[in-house]
Amino acid sequence: MWWRSASFILDRQQEQNAAVPPNPESLLLSSPPPSMADSLQNPKPDISAYYQTRAAHHAVVTSDWLAQAHAAVSIQTDDDDSSVIDGKIAPAAGGRGGDKAFSVIDEFNSWRKQPDLAEAVAAIRALAAVIKASQATTMMELEIELKKASDSLKAWDTTSISLTAGCDLFIRYVTRTSALEYEDFNSARSRLIERAEKFGEISCKARRIIAMLCQDFIFDGCTILVHGFSRVVLEVLRTAAQNKKHFRVFCTEGRPDRTGLRLSNELAKLDVPVKLLIDSAVAYTMDEVDMVLVGADAIVESGGIINMMGTYQIALVSHSMNKPVYVAAESYKFARLYPLDQKDVGPALRTIDFGVPIPSKVEVEKSARDYTPPLYLTLLFTDLGVLTPSVVSDELIQLYL
Amino acid sequence: MHPAVYKVGLQYLSGDIWGGNARCIAMFQAFKEAIKDYSTPPEKTLIRDLTARISSYVSFLIECRPLSNSMGNAIKFLKNRIAKLPLVLSESEAKATLMSDVDRFINEKIIIAEKVIVKHAVTKIRDGDVLLTYGASSVVEMILLHAHELGKQFRVVVVDSRPKLEGQLLLRRLVRKGLSCTYTHVNAVSCIMQEVTRVFLGASSVLSNGTVYSRVGTACVAMVAHAFRVPVLVCCEAYKFHERVQLDSICFNELGNPEAISKVHGREDINYLDGFVNQEKLQLLNLVYDATPSDYISMIITDYGMIPPTSVPVIVREYRREHLWS
Repeated sequence: MWWRSASFILDRQQEQNAAVPPNPESLLLSSPPPSMADSLQNPKPDISAYYQTRAAHHAVVTSDWLAQAHAAVSIQTDDDDSSVIDGKIAPAAGGRGGDKAFSVIDEFNSWRKQPDLAEAVAAIRALAAVIKASQATTMMELEIELKKASDSLKAWDTTSISLTAGCDLFIRYVTRTSALEYEDFNSARSRLIERAEKFGEISCKARRIIAMLCQDFIFDGCTILVHGFSRVVLEVLRTAAQNKKHFRVFCTEGRPDRTGLRLSNELAKLDVPVKLLIDSAVAYTMDEVDMVLVGADAIVESGGIINMMGTYQIALVSHSMNKPVYVAAESYKFARLYPLDQKDVGPALRTIDFGVPIPSKVEVEKSARDYTPPLYLTLLFTDLGVLTPSVVSDELIQLYL
Repeated sequence: MHPAVYKVGLQYLSGDIWGGNARCIAMFQAFKEAIKDYSTPPEKTLIRDLTARISSYVSFLIECRPLSNSMGNAIKFLKNRIAKLPLVLSESEAKATLMSDVDRFINEKIIIAEKVIVKHAVTKIRDGDVLLTYGASSVVEMILLHAHELGKQFRVVVVDSRPKLEGQLLLRRLVRKGLSCTYTHVNAVSCIMQEVTRVFLGASSVLSNGTVYSRVGTACVAMVAHAFRVPVLVCCEAYKFHERVQLDSICFNELGNPEAISKVHGREDINYLDGFVNQEKLQLLNLVYDATPSDYISMIITDYGMIPPTSVPVIVREYRREHLWS
């Protein structure tokens, strides 16, 4: 009988057989300026761009950024993409061999920098810009261009699920409505552009709808545990505070992004009593908690969610202590994925700063997100209403079939 | 009684043809022959008479062996098509239309559906996986062979059970193609489940509450997999979905031959039950199917994609709509 080898031995063998990936720590400090030939490639494919942006928008400045800022000041180095936080755009954009003056990836990056804009909405705005700049004369041509642009966006950051979901949603809308025979091409085009622009407003409106739906579930005197920095959850809590509800919030620290610190700042501004916990203290305080409220990076077909690392842990603890877990997310985050376990979700790696140097022999678990199965979730608050996890597949089937 | 239908009925009776897809395709081929040779008697309309004829064939087949759910859905489709025939068509045109409809059904709902299921399912097989399967499902066989062709490194555990021992046929085909296989009986499934990473099961039918109606023993395997937290993937074409709801395995099932469980083929010395078979206090229960509750199932792979067991009524609803419009 063959015995299955311990999985970690197999993993190491696979790593050794594959090409040695570059050490991500060094990448952040000194990535070479991208050459012309691979200017369309994401220069740091090992690190998830999605989580980089989130860190850029929401996290506290970490020590390696400080070090890098020092380095940038003291030595004149070439611009690299990590100086995004300074607002400078890498010169990789300029001079792409002259074949395309317009690049959808640039467009996407410029939209993505706005902290209030969701990733999916930025993607749709970028695709709208593709339509505007396109010189197609028929719907089919336009669709093909859009498909190409969407594929290049998805290839640029393979780890971002909401990006994929947003692109798919828009392409689906285009193909579904492009069959209107009586419409002439120009009016169809302007309609598509209008729809894409409206999508941005829908995103903000969605957050307000979700906040309204959630109000009934927040009762006076309740304690809410929050994990990660979700703009939707913040909107929910802000609306509840404005409606003069008395509640308090437990915020997990959310290492390594330290999203909890940012969130507790925002909540303190709203005069909501907030308590910061380290991530390990969740089970300890779960007795006092009445409900858990998290956002989601993506909602998958099984009804589970993909969210910041730590969500699964909290959901497991809440489930064993019979506390409800509520997820607040917009409906465009529904993705056609179906993970069976944690490894089935594509890895999204991000660098973790421990504050002290780690010897190179020590491996670090760098994954930024985990998958929470629908069994541990109680309800989903979306702009489509308050749903149970099994309804997600229903919506996806109706949309995509 | 048309000779083709008679032949198929006898093949069902003897067990030469088994498996949901095989039975459905064989039945349809026989019906095609019958329709080809059919001629409307005088004083009768094609639609009503042909429907009555098909019903009589179906009763004969039921006597040979009770219909499976997939066959029931297929017959409903055929009767629907006959009823929808425009009256202006001549007899030969009507027969040609029907035969092409049947061909289209077999092609779209069975053959191409299997290919789509295989395409979805191989994305869930990773290198280093240990896959367990129970019995012999045609779809699961195709999935494993296709994944092997794609070069994925995995090994297969085939779990089998008496009296049918269907797994041995699957095992032969897999070993011939070069897959590494392990063969065991269902009694040992809790021992081997520790090593398993995924379980692939076929289904005779999936019911509206997500219950999977499949070969007896499937529920056992799914339950043990659930206890070991191994994901269970059920692969089933959409035409096998049924709007019925079943809560346990007894209320609707098929009884097999009781002799098969009292005797062991090739072991004449096991004759402890000789002479007991006709006792009124003894019932030899040889159930053919069982019902697996939806809690034990992680995902159902259909030609509509990968869906959770709770979404089966949605597919049934969409599928019915397609029926009415096509």
